[in-house]
Parts: sequence; structure tokens; C-alpha cells
Amino acid sequence: MTVEPPLTCAQARRRSRWRREWALPILLAVASSLWLLAVEGREGIGRDEAQYFRAGERYWGWVENAWLELGKGHLGRALSRSAIDGAWEDNHEHPPLMKLLYGLSWRAFHTCDCMGAKRGLHPIPIIGRHRTLPLFARESTAFRFPAILLAGLGVALVYWLARQMLQPLPAAVAAVLSVAQPHYFFHAQIACFDVPITVMAVLVALAYWKSLVSPRWGILCGLFWGLALATKHNAWLFPFFLLIHYLWMRRRDFLRLRPPRLPLAFVAMAVLGPVVLFGLWPWLWHNPVERTRAWIGRHTQHEHYNFEYLGRNWNLPPTRTELKLLRASFPFVTTLFAVPVTTLALAGVGTIVLGRRRRGKAGEVVALAPQSGRASWLRPGADVDRAPGVFLAVHIAGPVAILALPSTPIFGGMKHFLPAMPFLCVVAGAGVAWLGELARGLLRPGRLQRALPAALGALLCLPAVSETIRSHPDGLGHYNMLAGGFAGGATLGMNRQFWGYSVLPLLPWISDHRPASNRVYWHDVLHDAVSMYARDGRLPIGIGDVGVGEQMPARSDLGLVTLEKHFALYEGLEWAAYHTTKPSLVYTHEGVPFVVVYERHEPPPAQPESP
Amino acid sequence: MVEAANAWMAPTRAPTDRDWRAAAARVRAEFRPGDLIVAAPAWADPLMRHELGDLVPIAVAGRMDAADFGRVWEIAQRGARAPETAGGRVVQSSRHGALSLRLWEKPKSRVVFDFLAGWRTASLSVRRAGGETPCWLGQDRFQCGDGTGLGPELLEVDTTSRNGLGVEPQERATTALEYESVPLGHELTVAAGLHSVWLRKAGDGKVEVRVLIDGRAVGSLQASSASGWSLRRFDTTAWAGRSGRVRFEITTDKAYARHLGFNAEAREP
Repeated sequence: MTVEPPLTCAQARRRSRWRREWALPILLAVASSLWLLAVEGREGIGRDEAQYFRAGERYWGWVENAWLELGKGHLGRALSRSAIDGAWEDNHEHPPLMKLLYGLSWRAFHTCDCMGAKRGLHPIPIIGRHRTLPLFARESTAFRFPAILLAGLGVALVYWLARQMLQPLPAAVAAVLSVAQPHYFFHAQIACFDVPITVMAVLVALAYWKSLVSPRWGILCGLFWGLALATKHNAWLFPFFLLIHYLWMRRRDFLRLRPPRLPLAFVAMAVLGPVVLFGLWPWLWHNPVERTRAWIGRHTQHEHYNFEYLGRNWNLPPTRTELKLLRASFPFVTTLFAVPVTTLALAGVGTIVLGRRRRGKAGEVVALAPQSGRASWLRPGADVDRAPGVFLAVHIAGPVAILALPSTPIFGGMKHFLPAMPFLCVVAGAGVAWLGELARGLLRPGRLQRALPAALGALLCLPAVSETIRSHPDGLGHYNMLAGGFAGGATLGMNRQFWGYSVLPLLPWISDHRPASNRVYWHDVLHDAVSMYARDGRLPIGIGDVGVGEQMPARSDLGLVTLEKHFALYEGLEWAAYHTTKPSLVYTHEGVPFVVVYERHEPPPAQPESP
Repeated sequence: MVEAANAWMAPTRAPTDRDWRAAAARVRAEFRPGDLIVAAPAWADPLMRHELGDLVPIAVAGRMDAADFGRVWEIAQRGARAPETAGGRVVQSSRHGALSLRLWEKPKSRVVFDFLAGWRTASLSVRRAGGETPCWLGQDRFQCGDGTGLGPELLEVDTTSRNGLGVEPQERATTALEYESVPLGHELTVAAGLHSVWLRKAGDGKVEVRVLIDGRAVGSLQASSASGWSLRRFDTTAWAGRSGRVRFEITTDKAYARHLGFNAEAREP
């Protein structure tokens, strides 16, 4: 038996610091990823996700082909415009980083039975059995894995960002609250871009914040912004948010009639950002200027898809003043009804705490590292207060303000201003810090006071975690206690779902009731999603899909309708086709219907024979 | 703590399949032909039809309004009330788990003439500056030489299914549907709206429906992308108890992506 020597003070400090700064966030990240991984199988495949699966597989197919060509000494073939466009034209309206990772993860971790009946369901030729590390039984899980890991990283990043101004416990609560939001949680486990770009927003913001006193982080900020650009177009806005903060932070320079220096972070973003984007996106390589213009144009002139908000179907920019005002309320009302009430209340307290903060005052719950001397373009925040309140405010108000413009499409619901949420949670963390101080003052020193931080943290996370568990797998249709939950949201006319993801629970029934004709109308479920359900073993291989279009219900014998307000048209078409208004099956969550299935119980009218 | 408790308790307060089956059994036991069954809030309608859809045929589900129904079965939850019960009184109520079942009775209109059901008795014409285009009665709709057609359809107007006569009006032309001799009451109810969420988005023209009886204009309705399902009640006291020649004249300023649906009944309120 050996006895360890007692720790020196320095060793004990190092260990405690390691636990605070690394072990805790890593634990939170791993726990979040495991949580997401444990439940992702209950969430269906959305339209966009199915397209990203397809594109990811194609992109990775190109990478493999390029590797093979390199081995043969013919890399030029893989780099030809036709070879690149053959793979990278697919879904080129979105940049490649996440799709590439989804493809890589699929290639590395799926359980391959690709040479059997599923061979024809792949978007690329399958020429042999894949050698993989078969971590996942379902191919869709292998695709989703990078998004789930990134969501876990996002939790750690929120912790680290919050730690720039808060003690460990409030920072940890902020991190938990950032993932324990029903809408965020819904998006965090799927192979899309909305949580990845949110994580990138935190990564860039953290790097920028640290760059105010550290040149190393200035360089990293540029690199991270490049990764953000390669993730989703929301990244275009990040520099504007940072610039507002920077100008505010250095506002005294203007009073001295000396404009602020251009900091290293912005220089790095301007240089490294486009380089990283270009390097990662082969679609740009042969025609960078025109294709970049096309990418920007696609998103600055995006169509307004249908979306329900407060009982109205919105699919065009409003023209009447009262509708413009109603439309402008969208991100505020949605946040009010979709974010857990406790999180909102803590953010309210945190806003007051940050607003009343006096820099440099001892005992403040929001405390920054002390100013460290002379400023330069390498350390532009070294001689001023770094204004954490404004920093968080611009990151919350920025995305929300964009969505408040009546001319901005709102079809993505909360996902389009999701990047505001981690920063809102850091503000909530400031509220937790204040509450902690208040509670500590009420208790006598002793065991109870020592147990207080953990108890308070758990207590404040419980409502948000409970709401999130309750919402799954239909987080899009969940609204908080103020709105009245799922039913309250439906009554208020808030959007319930999009992308047709919600059919998953019906698949066993549909498989069992597959019509003899095999004519199934899948409505909003994209063929790529049907194909992936089959690859996952959730639908029989070869199950029918009559396709999309208003004439298709009449050509089917079993049809679905996902219940969005504007899809009443398709329900009517199925009534007319099947001569009934009685659905054979309804999928509900807390009594609120999400999907209906109709069947033809009488033969269709005879079609005239073709000559 | 309240929020956490609510998160765990709320799912248990939602109506169960058993609640729906129990309420449906009660309705079935006392349902009479001509009764209307509705869910409140309206988003629960698919669940109601899942249990009782055989008693809600398309003709009822796509109704013009609820004025023709004197008895309304309302399956409600969370204190909601269906608009179809307006003006009624509860004559029966029962509780089935989280659902309330109420039978409402209210004064109902007597339909003197149903213009949708009687569409084949009408004649269609399209009049332009250059003259009149001939139209003829096909198997399931009128057809005209210029491509105009009119016939009964299940339409989607304002994201709700509606039975009506569907027509795609032409610019600089008047599409006229005329019923030669129609029995009339004190009221002529006309409803109109534009079909298809995609067409409403794509076009911005306005469609007008003018209503004339024996050549005299009694009123008009205008349908646009934002107007929804507009319902007007025209006073026809002057013709009550008599027959008249009823003409619907349909015009538009921009025909692109305009598909009008309309329905009408001569009623005795």
C-alpha cells in the first residue's frame, strides 16, 4: 500500500483550476452529447436534413475519389470542374463544412450492409462493402454524430464564455440552460446547420473576447470565422455584431478625436475567413466570384416559405402597417413563448445585474479579469472596460433584430435567431450569480451554505431540463408555461412543425398497412427521407412513393398530411381522393395532432385506358 | 418549481384516446341526421374526425357556414368554445376525462335553394367586348370556348376546406352563372374566396362577384389573396316566397393565379 504525499498549495490550486476550467465543461459537453445521442433516434428526418445526408454522402464520395485519383497520380481529374460540380453542385446554396463532416462520420461509423438490397438507395455508386468502425446501427445516427458532438462542444463554449465574467456555478448553469431549450434541443441532434452555426457564433465571440487582450486569440478568431462562414451564411453578420461592441468599448477614443485602431481579430477575419471558406468549398474553386455572388444572392433574396404565426399563414412580406408591426413582433413573442420561463426570468435578472454593473467595483457578481496595461492593435481591450453587457446585448439583439424586419422570411421559426440563445443564457447566468449571492447572504456559514451552489444550480436547471424532456421529439411544437404548452401554442396559432420530420412514430403502422398497390403519398416527407428511413430499417425497402404535387393524392391509396396551416390544401385533396374525412391514424403529442394518415377504402374510379 | 411541476403534470392533463372514444360513443348514441359535430379548439378537428369522421362527410366538413345546423355537438377541451355554437344554448353536457361534450341547440336557417347542389340547372356564359363565348355543360363542370371552366370543387380557402363552385375568371371578361328560376327566401347568403395557398401567394389580382336578381344588383363581394372566406347576407325580402332569376357575375382585374371559389344559398333565417 502506498500513501500519496500531501498536495502542495500550488498543486492543489492547479488541480482545482483544472477541475473548474476543463473537467467541468468537458463533463457538461460529454453529458449533453450523450443525452442527445440517447434520444436522437426518436426524432424523424426532416426535408432539409435528408438533403444534407445526400449531399454529405456525395461530397465524401468526391473526397474518396480524389484520394484514389491521387494514388494513381491523376489528382487533376478529381479537381476538374466536371468532377467537382458532379458532387458539389448538390445543395450548393449552403456551404460545405457540416455536410462534409456528416459524410465523413457516415463513412467512418455506419454499420455497412450496403451491398444488399439497400445498395440502390445511395446517392453515389457503392462498389464494395465499406470498412468502417460500426458505432451506430442506423446510418442516420452516423450522419448526425458530428452535429451532436458540436452541440456538446457548444455547451462547453458557453461555459467558457460565461467564465470570462462569472464564477463557475453560474457559468455551468448558463451552459446547461443553453442546451435545455426545447427548440434548441430539437435542432441540436439533427444533421443541419442551425445549432452548428450557433456554436460557431459562440466560438467566434469567445475568440474575439479573448483577443481583446491576447493576440493569439486574434488569429484564432479569423480562423474560426472562416469555419463559421463554411457552416452557414448567418456568419456574414458576426463581424457587424463584433464591430458594434468594439466601437462601444473604445468609444472614448472618439472623444479624444483618435479613431480606434483596427484590431488584429478583424484583420484576421478579413484575411483568414475567406481563405478558409474557399479552401473548404470546392464548388467555389473554378468560379469563385460568380458563385460567391450567387450564394449571397440566394440568401439575400430568399423566398418567404409558409409559416404560421399567431394564427396567420405568412408567406409574403407584409405590406399593411398593422401587419408589419405584428410581423415585427415575431422573434420577441416566439422567444417569450418558446424559451423556458425560468431561463427568461433569470435572463431578466441578469439584464438588471449587467445594467447596474460598476466596473472595477469589488464584490460585483459580473467580474472581468483586471485591465492589463497599454492597448495596441494586438491587445485592443487592455486599457478599457470590455463592456460585457454590450457584448452580450449585441449578440442577442443582432439576430433578433434581423428577424424582426418585416422583409425577412420567418419560415425557420426560432432556428433563424438561435445564435442569440447561448448569449441569453450567459445573461441568465448573471442572474444566477446574483441569486446565489442573495441566497448565500440568507444562510449562516456552515454545511448548508456550502451545499447551496450545487443545490441552487440544480434547482434552476430543473425546469428547463424538464421542459426539454417533455418536448421531445416534437420540440418545434413546444411552447412554455406562459403559452400553455403544446396545446396553448396550437391555440395561439404558433407554428407546430416544419420539414415533415414528425412522421417517424407512424412508420411501423404505415409499414403494416402498406397498400397492395404500394402507392403511398408521403406529402411533406421528401423522397430522400423515405429512402433514409428504409436504409435505417424503419421502412421496407421498395416502399412506394407516388411523388409530390397536387395530383398525387388521387394516384395513391394511402396518404399522409403533416398538419401545418397551409397544408389544409393537401388534406382536402386526400378527402376528395379517398372520399372520406376520417383519418385512419393521427399522431399527437400531448393531445395536439401533428400528422394524419388517410386510406382509400373503395377502389378509385376507373382510368380510361391508354390507346 | 412551478414550471418543473407543470412540465411533468401537463402531459397527463391532455385528453387520451379513451376520452375521445367515450365522447364519440356518446355522440353516436344520440346523433341525428343534420347534426353538426365540431371540435374546440379547431386544431383538435382531426382527432374528432378520427373517431366520428363517418358522421362528418365532405359536404359537412367543407360547409359554407354553420347557419343550417340547429344541433351542434361540441367536443371541447381546456375551456374552448367552437364558433359554430354561437347563438346556441346547451341542452346537454357531459364530461369524458379531459374532454367536455356539449350539445348546443340554436335557431337554424331553412335552405330554400342550394346554388351549389343545383349548379347543373344554371347556365354559364363569358361575355367580352367582342361578344359572348359559348359554354356547355360537361360531365362534371361547365366548359367554355376560351378555356374557362366552372364546376363544384373542394377548395382550400384561407387554409380551410370549402365546398364551392370553382372558376378561373378571365381579364376583360364577365363570367356569368345564371339560374333561371330560383325559389327565394328573405336572405341570400353568398360566400367567396380564393383557392390554393400557392395561387394566393403567386397572384395579386382581385376578383369581384356581383349578385343580381331579376336584373337588379343586390350586392357584391370582393376576393383577394388576403380576404379569406368572405360571407355576405343579402336581404331578399322583396322576393321572399317567389322565384327569381339569380345571376352571379364574376370579373377580375388580373387573372394570373386567381381561382375563385364561391357558394350560395337562398335561406329563410
